[in-house]
Amino acid sequence: MKLSTLILKDLRRAFLNPFGLSMMFVAPLLITGLIALAFGGMGGEDAQVSIQATRLVVANLDPGSAQAGFSAGQLLTDFLMDESVSNLVQVTSMDDAEAAKAAVLGGEQGAALIIPADFTTALISDKSSTLHLYHDPTLTIGAGIVRSLIAQFVDGFSGTRIASDVTISQFSGRGLPVDEGLHHQVAQEYTAWVTSMGEQGSGQDPIGLTIRTPADTEPVENPIQGIMARIMAGMMIFFAFWTGANSALSILREDEEATLPRLFTTPTSRQTILGAKMIVCALTVAIEVVVLLVLSSLLFRIEWGSPASIALASVGLVVITAGFGVFLISFLKSSRQAGGVMGGALTMLGMLGGLFTEGIQNIPAAFKTLNLVTPHGWALKAWNASLGPGVGPDLLLAFAVLVGLGALFFALGARKFSRRFA
Amino acid sequence: MADAIVVQKLRKQFGDLVAVDGISFQVTQGEIFSLLGPNGAGKSTTISMISTLLEPNSGEISVMGCSVRKDPMAVKAAIGVVPQEIAIYPDLSAQENLVFWGKMYGLRGDTLNRRVKDILEVIGLTDRQKGRSEHFSGGMKRRLNIGIALMHQPQVVIMDEPTVGIDPQSRRNILDGVKELNRQGMTVLYTTHYMEEAQELSDHIAIMDHGKVIACGTYPELIKIVGELDRVDLGLSVDPNLGIESLGKVDGVAKVSLEDGKISFLVQDSNLVLPRLFETASRNSFRITSVEIKEPNLEAVFLHLTGRALRD
Repeated sequence: MKLSTLILKDLRRAFLNPFGLSMMFVAPLLITGLIALAFGGMGGEDAQVSIQATRLVVANLDPGSAQAGFSAGQLLTDFLMDESVSNLVQVTSMDDAEAAKAAVLGGEQGAALIIPADFTTALISDKSSTLHLYHDPTLTIGAGIVRSLIAQFVDGFSGTRIASDVTISQFSGRGLPVDEGLHHQVAQEYTAWVTSMGEQGSGQDPIGLTIRTPADTEPVENPIQGIMARIMAGMMIFFAFWTGANSALSILREDEEATLPRLFTTPTSRQTILGAKMIVCALTVAIEVVVLLVLSSLLFRIEWGSPASIALASVGLVVITAGFGVFLISFLKSSRQAGGVMGGALTMLGMLGGLFTEGIQNIPAAFKTLNLVTPHGWALKAWNASLGPGVGPDLLLAFAVLVGLGALFFALGARKFSRRFA
Repeated sequence: MADAIVVQKLRKQFGDLVAVDGISFQVTQGEIFSLLGPNGAGKSTTISMISTLLEPNSGEISVMGCSVRKDPMAVKAAIGVVPQEIAIYPDLSAQENLVFWGKMYGLRGDTLNRRVKDILEVIGLTDRQKGRSEHFSGGMKRRLNIGIALMHQPQVVIMDEPTVGIDPQSRRNILDGVKELNRQGMTVLYTTHYMEEAQELSDHIAIMDHGKVIACGTYPELIKIVGELDRVDLGLSVDPNLGIESLGKVDGVAKVSLEDGKISFLVQDSNLVLPRLFETASRNSFRITSVEIKEPNLEAVFLHLTGRALRD
């Protein structure tokens, strides 16, 4: 009974504090909202998030193959210039690769695609060829879209080659004649089939890019949402760590306000008093996470993962933030030191953990590894994994690490506090 | 009457500092007992040990027959502690504070509601019960601080300098409140460095200095320690530090100290000693600008026992 009295009192104080509330709920939603606005708007019931079309210059150096009778470079250029993708890329073409690069450097174009001379040859043979995409480093989403379009085109060609190889292999196996005309016939029929499948599958929709939120098997019309989910997850993790530490800080604040020593003079055990504080840490973060999940779904139309994966990621986050908060604050001598620790240490750990670089592409692999040195990095890993379909091994691993680390931090912090107030 | 609190050979050391050095005293049920001494004398440390906040290095304490060491929960249930700091939740109202602390003492339901109502009346905050206590004046906060300790009707109230930093009117209210509690049968252990408070309130007074009880008894018993000495306070035309050495050597001066810019003397007969003090001042080329002859009080006792003023 006294435990619940203590918990309710602390929860009440936590949720009566305007600064605490703004850091728990307003700040993460506001930052994510500003990012959403920067991308072109937030979804209402019928609203769409729009992306400004990326200005792309294509320098096609591929003359094509006389043997094959087509130019893959020209096909790719035509594909990118198709009306159906004009809302994503605005393409102009140039003959000179250097001039195309200069256009990006000069800021006239957002990206330049250089199609090499051996592109067709490479696609119809086992050789490799490299497409070069130069882009404005600030264009993370636009560059990603261009990459996706190119990948889709190249995948289509690979499919043609595989279809051709399989057909010829089967013809040879049955002793049937194989000649050059067969290659062409297979390629044409495969292309016709893919085109018809695309038209049937997408109805009135344009060909080309379909972007799905990682959790969804259905394509979504709003490509921002997947990125928004990751950005929101990063913000939620960062501010959940702040809340965990801030809740634990109430132990020091009450000591300084003399209410903690006064509590110790009541017929209540110290374990009950300190235990209630620890429980409040976890409960406060749990409430914050649930509220942020619901509000972010409503405000930004973020489609989080399956209930099971969200539950695992949430529990992991609650355990690690409460445990780490108690651990971190146990090192402080007074609440006056908290500003530096919570502002500095948590921000630095958040940066190392990758919370502020989520959504940026081409992050070096070494940085991704470095992320996992921090509890923040593991929390981010869990949330990113939870956005995928179902409960995968990545999520289970991250969950286990979060719970294990959280329990360890919690035990160390609680031990330090118990000794301090013994 | 039985003893409410018995302290025997109590000792507490923090590193090299001996805060409480083997003190012993008894508080009888139904009395007001004051611990009087300057800051750093060990009063608050003693209080902290009696209220189970600190564990003694050695010695024994029992409250209402229960050992602090063996049965701390029974001791906690028997006492109400008024800490020196205002230990209330500023973001909760007076009523919410009382409800919370009442629950921490195990009160529930009608009993709790009745006690909250009663205490609000006693501390004069019925009209302000819904207001957040952070908006209260210093005196109102002090009263709430005391009210919290009375919620569970403790047998012993321990008050650690409850009048520090408040206005004279609030101080008067608190002192009257303490007397009223005592009239209702509550035992009060009171610490202060104001000798006037100890003098006005206490049945027994223990004077502490440097962790030791240097004198203990009723007010008349303590005054007898000074004997027939008079207290004389002199103001000088020069820095009193310049005059204290020469004036302190005057025949008939028992003790001398500096207090509030004046020199305090304990003298055997002020009629005989005063002319000698004037003569010495004249010989040393400074003037005596004020003379005050006082009846012996606790200040004089402390001066007599330690050679220092209580507020040094």
